[in-house]
Amino acid sequence: MIEITDLQKIYRMGNVEVRALDGVTLEIEKGEFVGIMGPSGSGKTTLLHMLGLLDLPTSGRIVIDGTDVSTLNDYAKTMFRLYKLGYVFQDYALVPDLTVMENVSVTAMLRKDRTEEQYRRDSFGILQQIGLCDRRDHLPRELSGGQQQRVSIARAIVNKPDILFADEPCANLDTENSRMVLDLFREINEEMKQTIVMVSHEDWHKEYFHRIVRLRDGKVISDEENVPSRTAA
Amino acid sequence: MGKKELKVAFLLALRSLQRGSRSSVILTVLIVAMCFTNMIFLPALFNGIGQSITKQVVDYEVGNVLVSPKTGDQYVTDVGATLDLINGMPGVERATAHFTKGATLTYRQRILGASVRAISPNDEKYVSPLYTKMIAGSYLGQDDTAEVIIGKPVAGDPSIRQEDEFQPSLGGVRVGDSITIDYGNGYVKDYRVKGIYFTGWSQADSAVYVTSTDMALVDPKSIDNADYITVKAKPGYSETFIKNELIQYGVTQKVQTTADLLSKSLGRALQSFAIINLVSLIVSIIITTVVLFIVITIKTLNSRRQIGILKAIGVDKEVIMHNYGFQVIILAVMGIILGIVLTLLLAAYMAVHPIVTPEWSATLYLTPLDILTNSLILFVAAIVAGYVPAWQVSREDIQAAMRA
Repeated sequence: MIEITDLQKIYRMGNVEVRALDGVTLEIEKGEFVGIMGPSGSGKTTLLHMLGLLDLPTSGRIVIDGTDVSTLNDYAKTMFRLYKLGYVFQDYALVPDLTVMENVSVTAMLRKDRTEEQYRRDSFGILQQIGLCDRRDHLPRELSGGQQQRVSIARAIVNKPDILFADEPCANLDTENSRMVLDLFREINEEMKQTIVMVSHEDWHKEYFHRIVRLRDGKVISDEENVPSRTAA
Repeated sequence: MGKKELKVAFLLALRSLQRGSRSSVILTVLIVAMCFTNMIFLPALFNGIGQSITKQVVDYEVGNVLVSPKTGDQYVTDVGATLDLINGMPGVERATAHFTKGATLTYRQRILGASVRAISPNDEKYVSPLYTKMIAGSYLGQDDTAEVIIGKPVAGDPSIRQEDEFQPSLGGVRVGDSITIDYGNGYVKDYRVKGIYFTGWSQADSAVYVTSTDMALVDPKSIDNADYITVKAKPGYSETFIKNELIQYGVTQKVQTTADLLSKSLGRALQSFAIINLVSLIVSIIITTVVLFIVITIKTLNSRRQIGILKAIGVDKEVIMHNYGFQVIILAVMGIILGIVLTLLLAAYMAVHPIVTPEWSATLYLTPLDILTNSLILFVAAIVAGYVPAWQVSREDIQAAMRA
């Protein structure tokens, strides 16, 4: 599903070179729930941004579902993100002027393969699934942090993306809400066979991952299978 | 850019305006409305002044077509036959002759120079609304003699001292008073003031009117001579048509339409008005463009992270650009509509309370074309002002936008 070969990202700060990613090579299979972990500054978010086509690598290659994404132009990348990828951000990143329903529908509305009836039905269904159907006409500021993050997840999965990227989705949440979000990820992963790549620096999150990739100084220092703990649910 | 993309862009724009800062929306709409009003007000006022002057010139001076002595002649001769000829032509409401004589008016201790115009009162009613402008007494009868009507400025105000007067007058003549007119040819006669009028047109208001019958006694030349003949056209007949007809029917005098006369006398004034209008238009467009540019730039700068997020989740930059474009379009349309309403209210107010000066009284003269043209100009300026910052921000790198 995702093949990463010798990925490098070098930032130049004056005369200093910072190697945010230093030769990362990885493969992620369809249906995996992968946790990317590591200390602050290890390159987790940079790697996620490269995989999510939000940033350009300095060198290396990323192939997603058979497509070498470095060959795509700006518009094709946008369409690739729209049709194949979903994102959940640390700070929810909902559009403050749109209701919950509108936030969830906004990307689905743009897809050529969705009719109005379809995206309304899909958005409604997702909101039912995450338990926020009764809040569909509320604005994000009227929801708690946990509820906003669930809406953000609903927006990310409403188009049934091939891969869901989550960048520290629990960073702004308390433990109870974090569990609620992680349980939702697990449910999506198990029931919809959704591939999920999630960045986290919370050690207890690993009980949800199938596989844990650890980074330090831009390098993969370990890549291990993990048996999720069922007690977490 | 398909229908779906435009629909999403419009939804984002609408929601941003509906649920964003109300005060920002109201302020922007008000500024656009004020700019529109400013754009249209001065030209409309100048047009109103032009229309007012034209109407007064038509009503109190020349009618629609003026027949004046041909070059080298002092008078239009053979007036009776000429009037009969003109009055018989299709499209002519009525033609009437004016004979004017300089004179000195005396009332008690006051002496005043004025023009005495001899008219045919009945015919004059078809050509000029003078008879409707009486503020005291009554209009001249067809064969009145030794009776006169005078303009309000000539009659004067008894409460104002002579040295304080803006314009010399007879110091407070009232209807029924007797004034003496010395025509300069040795003919001196006492007249009873039959009425006092006020038209608002200074040249008419500073004159004195007597009947042709009376003038025939003063100067027998006036019987078959006139300084000029004014011709009033029937509704639906153009001035040019009447002028051409007069020439074709063999009127050998000088024939000019009001437009011919005004193009010479008012041409320079209208040119000055046009330059001021242009400056006003450019200033208004610049203000609107700058204001909308600032508003949208601030909006985009405040929304950089959101723009980055939208791009990250697959919303194309064109959708983001049109989102701000639609916001500007909605703000501009609302501003223009409010501007039109304000302008029409101003026009309605000024129709009832015109700006009055000693020379003219002006209302706002608006045509649908003026409103449409100014609306389109402002609309285009607004679109340019909105789309430039929207275009810039929509092209920003996702990472840079998301870090904002």
